[in-house]
Amino acid sequence: MKEKLDLILKNGLDEIEKANDLKSLDDARVKFLGKQGELTSILRNMKEIPPEERKSVGMQANVVREKLENAISSKQEKLEEENLISEMEKERVDITLPSKGTKKGSLHPLTRFNNKFMEICVEMGFTVIQGPEIDTDYYNFEALNVPKNHPARDMQDSLYITDNIVLRTQTSNMQVHAMETLKPPFKIVCPGRVYRNDDDSSHSPIFNQFEALVVDENVGLKDLMKMIDTILKRLFGEDVKMRVRPSYFPFTEPSIEIDATCQMCGGKGCSLCKGSGFSEVFGAGVVNPKVLEMSGIDSKKYSGFAFGPGIDRSVMVLNKIPNIKYLFRNDMRFLKQMR
Amino acid sequence: MKVSYNWLKDFVDIDIPVSELCEKLSTSGFEVEEYSFQNEHLHDVYVGKITKIEKHKEADRLQVCQVDVGEKSVQIITSATNVFEGAVVPVALEGADLVNGVKIKPTNFRGVKSDGMFCSGEELGIDENYIEGGGVNGILILPNDTKVGAKIDDALLLNDVVLDINVTPNRPDCNSVIGIAREICAIYNKPFKDVDYSYKTIGDDVKNYISVDVKTKKCPRYMASYVKDLKLTRSPLWLRSRLFAVGIKPINTIVDITNYVLVEQGQPMHAFDYKHLAGSKIVVRDAKENEKIAVLNGNTYTLNADDMVIADSVKPVVIAGIIGGVNSCVEKDTTETIFECAVFDLKSVRLTSRKIGVMTDSSLRYSKGIYLSSPVKALKRALNLVSTLGCGKIVDGIIDICNQKEVVERKITASMSKIDKILGVEIDRKRVLQILNGLGIKSTLNDDILTCLLPYYREDIENENDLAEELIRIYGYEVYNNVEGGAFEHSSVTIGAYEPRLVLENKMKNSLVDYGFYETLNYSLYSPTAISKLMIDDERKNIIRLANPISDDLSTVRTVMAHALLLDIHYNLSVGNKNLKFFETGRVYLPKSLPLKELPLENNRLSIAVCENGYDFFMLKNVIENLLVSLPIEYKLERSKEPYLHSGVSADIIASDGTKIGWFGKIHKKVLKNYDIQDDVYYAELDTDYLSKLPEKKYATKELSKFPTVERDIAVVVDEKVTNGELISAIKSACGKHFSEVELFDVYRSEALGADKKSFAYKIRLVSEDKTLTADEINGIIKKVLKSLEFRFGAKLRV
Repeated sequence: MKEKLDLILKNGLDEIEKANDLKSLDDARVKFLGKQGELTSILRNMKEIPPEERKSVGMQANVVREKLENAISSKQEKLEEENLISEMEKERVDITLPSKGTKKGSLHPLTRFNNKFMEICVEMGFTVIQGPEIDTDYYNFEALNVPKNHPARDMQDSLYITDNIVLRTQTSNMQVHAMETLKPPFKIVCPGRVYRNDDDSSHSPIFNQFEALVVDENVGLKDLMKMIDTILKRLFGEDVKMRVRPSYFPFTEPSIEIDATCQMCGGKGCSLCKGSGFSEVFGAGVVNPKVLEMSGIDSKKYSGFAFGPGIDRSVMVLNKIPNIKYLFRNDMRFLKQMR
Repeated sequence: MKVSYNWLKDFVDIDIPVSELCEKLSTSGFEVEEYSFQNEHLHDVYVGKITKIEKHKEADRLQVCQVDVGEKSVQIITSATNVFEGAVVPVALEGADLVNGVKIKPTNFRGVKSDGMFCSGEELGIDENYIEGGGVNGILILPNDTKVGAKIDDALLLNDVVLDINVTPNRPDCNSVIGIAREICAIYNKPFKDVDYSYKTIGDDVKNYISVDVKTKKCPRYMASYVKDLKLTRSPLWLRSRLFAVGIKPINTIVDITNYVLVEQGQPMHAFDYKHLAGSKIVVRDAKENEKIAVLNGNTYTLNADDMVIADSVKPVVIAGIIGGVNSCVEKDTTETIFECAVFDLKSVRLTSRKIGVMTDSSLRYSKGIYLSSPVKALKRALNLVSTLGCGKIVDGIIDICNQKEVVERKITASMSKIDKILGVEIDRKRVLQILNGLGIKSTLNDDILTCLLPYYREDIENENDLAEELIRIYGYEVYNNVEGGAFEHSSVTIGAYEPRLVLENKMKNSLVDYGFYETLNYSLYSPTAISKLMIDDERKNIIRLANPISDDLSTVRTVMAHALLLDIHYNLSVGNKNLKFFETGRVYLPKSLPLKELPLENNRLSIAVCENGYDFFMLKNVIENLLVSLPIEYKLERSKEPYLHSGVSADIIASDGTKIGWFGKIHKKVLKNYDIQDDVYYAELDTDYLSKLPEKKYATKELSKFPTVERDIAVVVDEKVTNGELISAIKSACGKHFSEVELFDVYRSEALGADKKSFAYKIRLVSEDKTLTADEINGIIKKVLKSLEFRFGAKLRV
């Protein structure tokens, strides 16, 4: 009997070993372990074995069964894995084929810049607000210390609707709206479109500005300079250099213009910066006390400063856009490069 | 404004490289836009004397000239016919690089060598006004006494540097050489030297010759003097050279003197031909209605009472402050002149100058402001030049009619600590006084009180802010590079925030980008034809027109967004771009009444346009649904009334309060034709102002059933006119409390179904909160659904 079991084990292991697919492995299982299997029939006929041998035969038979079962299951695992691998091999793809589904579009580069600028300002405690693009002469000029026929009006050629209603030439109209409606201390920033009677190869009649205004006790030029330094670094990187030139705006005193390292040439000098290595980024200044008073803010108690970048040029430079007209042309070939 | 470097040297000793001076001026408030060397194209050009002329043996038209150029003699071949032996001429030698682009190198004309070229005035960049013979078509023959061998720029006084300075409107005093010179003195802490204002008179009295009557409030001051026995010749070269450098045409001594004073002192002047002043009278008055005057630019202008003229006893002779009349100007035969040196109201000159479209050096200065005191020195300077040039005899006395109180010096006091606060840095007190005094502001400091005596030309300074600016611009903004600390050290903490609409717009923009859309930006001005191209016939056709548009294409503010996006699509298709998916946020401007009396309503919109192969209404609908899904808004769709949309393939989006918050659909075929677009375009617009005013969406979660959801499919055949929306709501209500979801998954039409019939297939999902639904229960519900559909829509189960 022992020999018989040894033979079953040997033959069984042989057949399991030889099985090279799940079907022949199952055949082997049925042959040896199935209901009619060789081992099963021995176990079934235990009673025919002399009682004194029964125990050892039984033990041996169980060992054989266990060995066969183990061999089958490890073989099965192996075959299944091989099957998966060959299945996957069939699924192999050309990874250079195009992707499926919707391809992402893009935000306009001006929006991207706006968002970045607003983010910086909001982190510094500014509230972003917007206001009218069509405004009265009072908000666009008079309340900013530019009375009618003032020479400063020559600085900005305006588009008028009536004598008293103008397409705002500057987002500075929002300074007045803010000062009339908000109580100091406040910090506001206003992105928006402005309009000028000016249309040539380097000027757009419509362009974009920001206006930022801080009104509080104890703020002055130093706060302005330090804040702008931070903003420039956030916008253009830590290496940016800043240059300040005195300037004139009727609503600020002192007034300055702030240049930053030309982002087109990195400061080496190019046609855009006329070789200076700098390009103008902000107009800024300490709010003229007359302007505070006109809008009902006590200039003895409060002071303020304002700054405003024209952003179209910065967007051009940061994105290396060769022509300012691209910004409004909406050519897909351009927009696709902005993804 | 153009300023001559040599001229500045009359007032301040400067020996600074021009580039450095320009940098300093720029960083102290006077931006030098560019500077140019007059002699840039005059190097290697010398004064030569022709010693001998022979004919070229091989070429009839050429002459071979031996020329003495000082240290050596050169041979020049010329075809010019106006040269002669003994002529003094400009000679361009090897290396010269003339203004017309000609570069000189020795050449060979048929075997005879030429060392260079004689020059015409034009080749030197000058003309007949600058020097006699400068405009002839031939070689410039120089005066015989010109030093042979000299460099031509020295000989012709063309060795100046011209600075183009941007003078800000608050500093009209600096529209003058003297003003810029004062600034340079302050910057470099150098003494200011003034020029000579003295002159000799011949006695007599100006009142014997002229009387002045100022009849308008718009002329605060009028000064006049009388000069006779004029010698009207060319001015001396030094004077012509200065005018020429700053772009003013030299004419004759008297006219040149008025221009010289204008540039140097910033005070416009005028010179009349005395014999043409009827009644020996000058009247400054408002113009009469329809008064006509012919002026020096060749035009005749019709004036009215808003304008101001200088007249004699019968006729206007000058448009005040702007331009002189032809009837009284100084000409060759003028022997006596009246010099006018006046102050006119800035607004009046501006208005008239703009109205008639005439800008002159004079009107530009008057429009920026001339001080009440400025004619005094200026007139003296003009008379000094008359004396110096010896071009006339000055009669004693000056007429001076001044109708305002003259304040030559004004005192203000300021708090030094307030200035410190404005600047955020403390400037050394000694330096403070040095800067202010250097600017001509006599200042003293007593504890905190700064007392300043302001000269008449610093009307711009009123308070601490103004003084702070004067100090810091001269002291230098670099000081802030080394100041410790950050911003807002002594002020309040504020919390930043965004306007809600920007937040909403940004979310929507980012979603759209993920859906494959590209953001566009268009002008918010457009052509008035946009409205008719879009077939709009509602209140949006009430467009706002600009009073002074740049062009017809930019003459109205937009009342609809669609126009620009359709133009964008047309443009993109025309350059071969395909699969266009655009969106834009922007404003429409809706007038409350026309003509505009109050500000229009500015309404923010999001607009979307798609021109893509295979795109359809339902794809756009999906985009709209997804944009709106996270907003707390109930809305329904109605057939759209937008005139530019396809009436059958478009919808208006109506909020539960009845507001139309948007619309979307296919563009009307006629509109596509109007925009010359061949492909279908889908368009949508949302009112972002409305949407951003909604409160934040509140979420309330239903409990999740512990029991499985089951699914049944049904397909029903209905008439074409029955809509999916109707069937869905019937299914929902028939399912009752066990309804979970319903989804249309197939629409089918065939001949077998019959014309005007369609089959809709739905997946219905059912669930119970408290048990697993049995097959019987499910079948019962489905039966009820089918019955309801049959009853309400005649729907038949499709088998």
